[in-house]
Amino acid sequence: MINFSRVSLVYPTSTKTILEDLSFEISEGEMVLVIGSTGTGKSSLLRLINGLVPHHTGGILAGDITVDGISTRLVRPGELSHLVGIVGQNPAQGFVTDIVEEELAFGMEALNIAPDLMRKRVEEILDLLALSHLRDRAISTLSGGEQQRVAIGSALVMNPKVLVLDEPTSALDPIAAEEVLSILHRLVHDLSLTVVIAEHRLERVIGFADRIIHIAGDGSAEINLPEEILKRSDIAPPIVHLARALGLSQVGLSVRDVRRMTEEIRTNGRDPEVIAPVQADLAISTLNLSLSYQGKPALRDVTTNIYNGEIVALMGRNGAGKSSLLTTLVGLNNEAKGTSEICGRSSKDLKGKARREIVGFIPQEPSDLLYGQSVKGECAQADKDNECAAGTALALLERIVPAIDPNTHPRDLSEGQRLALALAIVLSAQPQVLILDEPTRGLDYQAKTLLITLLKSFAKELNRSVLIATHDVELVAELCDRVIFLAEGEVVADGPTLEILLSSPAFAPQVAKVMSPRPWLTVSDVLRAVE
Amino acid sequence: MKSLHPLTWWIWSLLTIGAVIRADSSWLAGSAMAAAAILVWRFAAAAPWAKSFWFSLKIGVFILIIRTIVGVLIGVPIPGTKLATLPIVPLPHWLAGIRIGGVITQERLLSSIHEGLIIIAVISLFGAAVSLTSPHKLLRVTPVAIYEFGVATVIATSALPNLVQSVSRIRRARALRGDEKPSWRSIALPLLEDSLSRSLELAAAMDARGFGVSRKRSRYRPITWHGVDSAIVLTSAALLAVTLTVFR
Repeated sequence: MINFSRVSLVYPTSTKTILEDLSFEISEGEMVLVIGSTGTGKSSLLRLINGLVPHHTGGILAGDITVDGISTRLVRPGELSHLVGIVGQNPAQGFVTDIVEEELAFGMEALNIAPDLMRKRVEEILDLLALSHLRDRAISTLSGGEQQRVAIGSALVMNPKVLVLDEPTSALDPIAAEEVLSILHRLVHDLSLTVVIAEHRLERVIGFADRIIHIAGDGSAEINLPEEILKRSDIAPPIVHLARALGLSQVGLSVRDVRRMTEEIRTNGRDPEVIAPVQADLAISTLNLSLSYQGKPALRDVTTNIYNGEIVALMGRNGAGKSSLLTTLVGLNNEAKGTSEICGRSSKDLKGKARREIVGFIPQEPSDLLYGQSVKGECAQADKDNECAAGTALALLERIVPAIDPNTHPRDLSEGQRLALALAIVLSAQPQVLILDEPTRGLDYQAKTLLITLLKSFAKELNRSVLIATHDVELVAELCDRVIFLAEGEVVADGPTLEILLSSPAFAPQVAKVMSPRPWLTVSDVLRAVE
Repeated sequence: MKSLHPLTWWIWSLLTIGAVIRADSSWLAGSAMAAAAILVWRFAAAAPWAKSFWFSLKIGVFILIIRTIVGVLIGVPIPGTKLATLPIVPLPHWLAGIRIGGVITQERLLSSIHEGLIIIAVISLFGAAVSLTSPHKLLRVTPVAIYEFGVATVIATSALPNLVQSVSRIRRARALRGDEKPSWRSIALPLLEDSLSRSLELAAAMDARGFGVSRKRSRYRPITWHGVDSAIVLTSAALLAVTLTVFR
């Protein structure tokens, strides 16, 4: 179906070869997963399939790519729209209309398909993706998972033979992600659709993939069966790390497989000692905090206390009020009712320098915090703001991620490096509390490990508290002491990570699913238990 | 107001702009702006682009101030009531006819403000049309024959609302860095990058979904022109007609 023969790609104004001499073939009805660290060219590879690269981006393409026998070099991306459906990283940015139904019809309208045929196909897609009840809704009012389904629907409505998805679950909570992936799985099996998907969170997609393309970053790439690739790759889901750590004879890719191989461990392992957390000094406290946007409640009577030295995860479905709670805590929603205090000061009174020294906040887009022309300039500005010795922030950055060229423009950093820069700037003010909104979106495993080490040392060595809103259960399992679970703006659960994550199968990390019913969440938990 | 034709407010605002320019009267400019403000306040949907009008007003006021200062300081003096006298900056002889400083007269000040008001009115009427019309709907009535124009329209009309959205997001983030009143210079860079990348993303999405491939487009649901649309367009057409006959 898709054929790459000796493909090389270089972007203009860049000397780096993105892909070099890449050849592979994907046959009909295959589900292929593309993995690689950030910035290695996963998105470029996906966009090559329908010709957006190089038609839309420029760049030099050598070799030939054909989809269903048509060379992408010879036709515009639009002329492949009936053949290749593509869903971008952020579906909200790709919507061309306002209403769900109109969005689904857009592509067919552009191809001048007769209205009655259009209606029939829209109806089919609405049923297939369970969108019928949303047909008249404005797209901007939908949740992340629903938007993702609309985006997939508007690609599928053209009856394409190939569907290309760029990180389709990165913005979704575990349940919505599961929904989207099982729909894809069904399409592959029922309609023999060819699916190419790029994803960082392998734990979510690994069970569905037939083959993996691993992009190494130096231009080379390998395509093979998942078992073969994951035997050696350092990009691997927790379940594979578990198999490696336990020295199992083969890597299993599904929870079921690994469960079969670890029966003995589950019966013999020791339970972890429960260490009661020290909850001494209050860092964040809220009492009956409520907030509504245009009459719609976003937070309802949230009452919670977070103590120094604690790392707390804020979880919940898309739109449960996580971001609202965070922005209220740092004093950005002054219309909120009830009290919220950080280190004994009301959130509403936080301003300027005092805010910086009490609370560090990393927004969903870390680049919002950056405005310098270079990493060096950004760090110098932070030093000036905090009145500390020149080079403090830069030294901090060097500790977090070594070897970033200080003359680089923040725009040219990778996702992980940009987060590190934002963290260095925020931490150089030495805040008492650190708050992060979805820090792992778009981060690869390597960057995630780095983040975990950094946050742990911040909380444990300095005895300060960290609050993270996240969908990433693996991160929560590795990092957090406690989980607060929000639903419809209300706190529905609040307790130790172990307890909360094990109580709901949808939010259980992969290792916990394998080891169920034993209370082990991570690979290191298991290793400790069998020592 | 859902059923209005996407072109209605655009035609209305273009005709009104015509009337304002033709009449060259601060009163008409002021009332047109007031009317636009009421319409936007009353009818704009709760969508991101609805804020564009207020944003365009702010830009207009900024332009008015700059223009008035420049107009008073530089240029030909209009004789009349003297308000103040500034020292004249000596300029080389080859710049004869241009003058910086000197006498500021009431007439000069008023005429500068008057010109500025007309400019604000034009900008804000444009902003009102953006606020009142969904850029996505507008695209659906744009003829495909002018493909590049269609893409450009969508990008241009969605760039302003995106800009407004990004400004508030970046300001919030910046306040958290302890920078309560961030300078425009520091916002401009991330802002430009943000809206550019969004617009590119949108253009790529349209391209990938076959926009402009077929010379003819079918309509999933017909977009119809109602009596209300005619009525709205007629009011501004009447206004233009009146200004054309009265202000000769």
